[in-house]
Amino acid sequence: MTTRPELLAAQATAWAWLGRPGVWWTGEERVAIVAKTRHAATCALCRARKQAAIPAAVLGTHDTISTLPAPAIEAIHRIRTDSGRLGETWYRRLIGPDLTEGHYVELVAIVAITVAIDSFREGIGLAALDLPLPMPGLPTRTPPPGTKPGLAWMPVLFPQDWAPPTPDLYRTLPGPPERGRGHIHHALSLGPEAMIAWWDMFEPMYLRSAEMRDFTREFRAISHAQIEMLAARTAALNQCIY
Amino acid sequence: MNGDPTSGIPAGGILSNFAEAILANDDSLAQSRSAVVAALGEAAMIDAAAVVAGFNGITRIADATGIPLEPAKAEETESWRATLGIDAFIDLKS
Repeated sequence: MTTRPELLAAQATAWAWLGRPGVWWTGEERVAIVAKTRHAATCALCRARKQAAIPAAVLGTHDTISTLPAPAIEAIHRIRTDSGRLGETWYRRLIGPDLTEGHYVELVAIVAITVAIDSFREGIGLAALDLPLPMPGLPTRTPPPGTKPGLAWMPVLFPQDWAPPTPDLYRTLPGPPERGRGHIHHALSLGPEAMIAWWDMFEPMYLRSAEMRDFTREFRAISHAQIEMLAARTAALNQCIY
Repeated sequence: MNGDPTSGIPAGGILSNFAEAILANDDSLAQSRSAVVAALGEAAMIDAAAVVAGFNGITRIADATGIPLEPAKAEETESWRATLGIDAFIDLKS
């Protein structure tokens, strides 16, 4: 099977990033989040909640052997198994001393990268990757300056509020900015490194912004129309309204 | 579109089935994968899997951060979101 080298390289880079210390989690904790993301797919409580009209009405504990804090376990399991029914009330209950908004955003990126890479490999018939190697080091615990509340559940860093030394999350330099046109580009901006890791992996799987709007040629072995149909179908199956 | 998002898309039904099989990750996946390869070729199957997998991740980012649809996009898609029942998902959030 011949896979686009750019696709595999982007996924390998993202997978290695998962094992490195982040802004809020250590490398070991981040690898534990990857493992929990995979494990959540078979959690009995998650299966029961998925079937329930009101997920929170089903009491119990998640199947887990992890040392991650309880709010993180709940976040991983719900994002992995029932993301379409997450609401702000659920989010506000989770956030606290054991799971700050910074921890949460980095966790969301880790879960999403794990789901995307695992789904891709399952899709084309390849075995799942081994867990990333956890790298030593401490989280920097430095949130970006200039974030503002109001757009998402957590504060976001808008392109006009970005400045060095915060990593160039919108690819503003040398210009014009390559990211930041859609709200979805802002979703992980409280964690610039996490946002960069996600989009650097995602764009080779889908399309870059400029490619999305360029209908003069096709950039993949399937057409723009086929790509957008697949994207819409996947979003609908996941009950995503974005 | 007549309410069918695959209508008018070459091999739309086959690709839609492939998306469903990837998300379900069940016994139908191998057959769906083969159907895409037979209809469109291996490179198309790989690119289709990449789109589905990428959106299987990004939908989680959108839903787990509460990021809203852009106002212009919400207006443009109002009628077909209602037709497809997508707005009903909002009522299920808790």
